[in-house]
Amino acid sequence: MSTALELNALSKRYGSFVAVENAELRVERGAFLTLLGPSGSGKTTILMMIAGFTEPTQGRILLDGRDITALPPERRDFGMVFQGYALFPHMTVAENIAFPLRVRGMTKATRDEKVRGALDLVQLTGFADRLPKQLSGGQQQRVALARALVFDPALLLLDEPLSALDKKLRAELQDELRALHRRVGRTFINVTHDQDEALSLSDTVAILNHGRLQQVGAPAELYERPRTRFVADFLGKSNFIRGRAEPGLVHAGGVTLRQHDATSGDVLLSLRPEKIAIAEGDNALDGRIASWSYLGAGYALVVDTALGALRVHLPSWRAPVAPAEGLQLRIAFAADAATIVQDDADAP
Amino acid sequence: MMGGYKPGWFARTLSWGTAAYLVLPILIVIPVSLTDQRFLSLPHHGLSLRHYATVFASPEWIGSILQSFWIALAATVLSVVAGTLFAVAAWRLDRRSTQILSALMLLPLIVPSIVYAIGLYRYFGWWDLLDRFLGVVIAHGVTGIPYVVITVSAALASFDPRLEQAARGMGASLPQVLRWVILPRIMPGVVSGAIFAFIHSWDELIIVLFIASRDVFTLPRRIWDGINENLDPAMAAVAVLLIGMTLILLLLDMLVRRRRDD
Repeated sequence: MSTALELNALSKRYGSFVAVENAELRVERGAFLTLLGPSGSGKTTILMMIAGFTEPTQGRILLDGRDITALPPERRDFGMVFQGYALFPHMTVAENIAFPLRVRGMTKATRDEKVRGALDLVQLTGFADRLPKQLSGGQQQRVALARALVFDPALLLLDEPLSALDKKLRAELQDELRALHRRVGRTFINVTHDQDEALSLSDTVAILNHGRLQQVGAPAELYERPRTRFVADFLGKSNFIRGRAEPGLVHAGGVTLRQHDATSGDVLLSLRPEKIAIAEGDNALDGRIASWSYLGAGYALVVDTALGALRVHLPSWRAPVAPAEGLQLRIAFAADAATIVQDDADAP
Repeated sequence: MMGGYKPGWFARTLSWGTAAYLVLPILIVIPVSLTDQRFLSLPHHGLSLRHYATVFASPEWIGSILQSFWIALAATVLSVVAGTLFAVAAWRLDRRSTQILSALMLLPLIVPSIVYAIGLYRYFGWWDLLDRFLGVVIAHGVTGIPYVVITVSAALASFDPRLEQAARGMGASLPQVLRWVILPRIMPGVVSGAIFAFIHSWDELIIVLFIASRDVFTLPRRIWDGINENLDPAMAAVAVLLIGMTLILLLLDMLVRRRRDD
């Protein structure tokens, strides 16, 4: 694998406001990278700088080793699916998809053939003569994908491509998008604020907050080993436990916990709710259910313990207890269940 | 509106009164044009089309109608090209400087025509454009620009800027984006502006009084002279034709707007 896209110390400032600070990123050819962050984190600004619609204040953007920082968008060779799709309302589906071919001066015969291929690719054969307003949201989204891929660009940029769709359709299109990525083998760069979408679609996720890249890695790596409190909190739910470490142990709330990677000093532990079990074993604690809710696949409990209130997720099928407020129980988690995270100031 | 309250007698009387006040002076010219008398008056004994016949038999009237038409057409082309390009540029840049320029572009609407006419008279004297077809076209073309800027800017306000980004992202150059994406979307605004620019030139009198004398004799100018010199009812017939033309153009504009709303 080789590097397709590289961001070098990329920054964007608007006056004194820092939208993106010193972003460093490498994207492998054929990878699916997602820029994930809350609104205002700078993820869209990075995408717009890659596209060339926003000019960076500092830094460089390299596509296949070529510096494209100074190039206008039309000379960068990327396809893009916009938020809301940005289909041309006065053109039919076929004309929309043929647009990038027409600006490249291809003959009508070549265009027709490629448009047919692109329509097949997104399973919209037979929709060529419809206008965008005659299509459903999901179909429009597929037309936007076909239009962005039909000219074989080096890069496909996706700006919150699924945000306008309802939940069920979104899940369907996530699967389609992943399959499409596998089929065309291009480099995809996606922007979203939806954690589930980022985890399920991407090879690599880059998490941003306040214009800074927080952590870049495979979805499982980010989820299992978050480096900061922000990452742990933004990607799924987490309990945070403050304590004092010595080798292999953490003292917190008058309890001594076994923690595989503890060394010394004040530490913050991040512990996922589903890694706590109602059982005896390592790090066992007395607890009392303060509140609970039923979620279908599982129960979400809040359990008062010596460590404070802990969130606990239980699978609902054959749950070891029937949850009830005030119920006394023993909970436990393994020595490698929690992760020591950096306590960044801006996390809640 | 569904479920709205019916207007009361006061509001209704007021609105009909206002409408009558606006329309009656225009409508009075219709019976006058059908008079059977030889002077400007209401019909005495019966209706007659003789004054329309006079107009169509007169080479002066026909000449003025044609001249006005060609001037308005050429001026419209000038207004539409300049106004559209300006509106698109101002929309794309959207900076402080373009806001000031946009205000400047509307000056011909704000400055009294007579002030404009005096200024043009001096410059056109130096450039030898007085009493020339080209001179009137330039004057009308420039003063017609605000109509186009207003209608095209309104059309651009509802244009999704992501469409332009999408087009450029797919490799389209600026002229290609303009031709294939922006223009088709704002066409109703352009057509609307063209219609207003045409009407502006078609019935413009004050500037023409200053910068044209004998060779260029537009229709409003001939009506003006006619009223000053003799009270020939043929003028009323011409006025009806003028109103008819304007009415047709306004209906056309409504049609274009309706299509845009679809």
